Parts: sequence; C-alpha cells; structure tokens
Amino acid sequence: MSAERGLCAYAITRGARWDLVGSPELRAAGPPELIRHDGLALVVTEVDTALFGGLDAEEPAEDGLLATLVRDHDAIVRAVFEHEPVLPLRFGTVVADEPAARRLLSSSCDEVTRWLDRVAGHREWGVRVDHGAQPAEETPLTGLSGADYLRRRRQSRLDDRQLKDHQSDAARALHSALVDLATDVVHRIQRPQTLLDAAYLVPEPNEDAFRRAAAELGEEARGRGATVHATGPWPPYSFTRLELGVTG
Amino acid sequence: MESTSSSLADVLERVLDKGVVIVGDIAVNVVDIELLTLRVRLFIASAQTAREMGMDWWTGDPFFAPHSARAELDRRTTGLEAAEKVPERAPEAVHER
Repeated sequence: MSAERGLCAYAITRGARWDLVGSPELRAAGPPELIRHDGLALVVTEVDTALFGGLDAEEPAEDGLLATLVRDHDAIVRAVFEHEPVLPLRFGTVVADEPAARRLLSSSCDEVTRWLDRVAGHREWGVRVDHGAQPAEETPLTGLSGADYLRRRRQSRLDDRQLKDHQSDAARALHSALVDLATDVVHRIQRPQTLLDAAYLVPEPNEDAFRRAAAELGEEARGRGATVHATGPWPPYSFTRLELGVTG
Repeated sequence: MESTSSSLADVLERVLDKGVVIVGDIAVNVVDIELLTLRVRLFIASAQTAREMGMDWWTGDPFFAPHSARAELDRRTTGLEAAEKVPERAPEAVHER
C-alpha cells in the first residue's frame, strides 16, 4: 500500500513576505507552508490523504480524529488571520501538488483579491439566542380541584406564550442593533427553540460598539429568560462562500 | 460578550462546511464533506438536546409537570434535612409523576 501524498489547504491570503512566526501548535498536521503566486498565497501542509479516510468510521468525539483535524484547521487559519486578511477554505480541501496550487491561484487571482479586500479589516462574531424555559411555579398541586388545575394549565400556557413573545422582541432588538454595526450578516440554520442564530462581519472600528450592544441587549434578553450564546472573534468563515476552480 | 475559548461545536459549525470550495481536477477528493457535516450536525443536535433536557426532560416540561418536579424535589429535600427527620415517604410524592 503506497501512501498518497497531497497538500491539505487551509486558507488563501495575500502573498506578502511574511512568515508564520510562532507557528500554531498542531496536533496532527505538519508545519504549514505558504505557496505564493501572483501576489497571493495558499496555506498548506503536506498530508497523507488516507488520514481523512478514518473520519467515515468514527463517532464525533471531543478527542477524536475529526476534532483534532478541525482544531488544527482553525489554528492554522487563525495564525494567518493574525497577520493578513484571510479566506478560509472548507475543511478537508486537498490539492494534488504545488503546480496545482499555483494554477489555482493564478486562475482565480481577481476574484480572490476582491474577496480579500472585502473581508480585510473585519472579524466575524456569532450570536445565538434561544427560548428559555418558564420559571417553575412554586405552588403545589395538593388539594387542587380538576377545574382549578385546568384553569391553571391554561394560564400557564398563556404566560408561556407571552414570555416567548417578550424573548422574541428582545432577540429582534439585539439583532437590529448588531446588524447596524456590521458590514454583512449571515443567518444560520435554526433549531425550533432558536430565536436568532447569526454571524456578523464587523469592521474593526465598530468592534467596541458591537460588543457593548451585544452585552447590553444580550443581558436584556437574558433578563427575559432567553439564553444568549456569543462567540468570537472568528476569521471570516461564514463570509467566504465562493467556489474556485481552474478554468480554461 | 467576551472572547472565550470556543467549544468544539462552535468550531465544527464554522470549519466544516463553510469557506472557499475548490472544484475541478486540481482538488483531491479525500472526504465526503456533505455527509460528514450531516453526521456531525445530527450528533451535535442530539448531544445538545440531551444536555439541555438533562436526560430527564419530562420533569421540566410544563406539559407533563405544571410545577417543576425538580425544583419541588429540591425544596422538599432541603426541608427534610432542616427538620433532621426523614419520613419513610413524602405523602404527596404521587403527584410528581
């Protein structure tokens, strides 16, 4: 069995002369290298392509192969992101060899440059708001008649609906404040209890205001019983939805 | 809003199926990313659901338990401990079901 070698690619960035100083701590991948062409660079590590085959077999786990590879991917993208604007590539992108990488960069130069300019000076922040459960009632059921019980059930459902409305309002207020400070926004696939799940592309000068708004209005939503989960800063993972191929 | 270390679910959500896609003969197909993403989504959803519901979801669901049995149980346990006398069985326990 001969091991197939390939170049696992993590990100496209500007090809200025800089090195990955303080290379990120990686668990599975070798040290990342930059393949430069036409003022752009592809960030890669050499891999045995069979490595990814193990992903089909395993259950996702905190210390499994997938977690390891995904954490490495994120670490490399972030290391580049600290220096230069970056377009993260989808996980598990492998190109055959260095000539292939150069062909990719030369054929997509204009498009990539445009996207890099677009995300330059921005970081991504995520905010998710979920419905919270109604606070538990204190009164016991002992000695309650059937009619009283049904009346209370109905009241409790009305309260519940009102609470949900208040939480939805809080989530809307939060979103509209955040979207004003962002260059772009992407909504994620929502689960039934989710009121808001969005990624915001925020220009650096707006970051303080963005974080302040998220903290204040997030607290308001929490006060109404919703759960608020904020993450960031991220490289612009959610804002680089483009497809590149060698043309011609 | 603090930049804390992100959970694996947060990282997976961003890294797996987002970002630039490279197509054509220069790309080597090493993993079916759509299938992998689907599997991971299902896994995360079920793990989150189980955690949020604490695996005893019926006790906290207003439909099944109009007053939360968990809070009631805690209150009662505390009361019993304070009384330093543990009766064989709480008389209203039948309402907890």
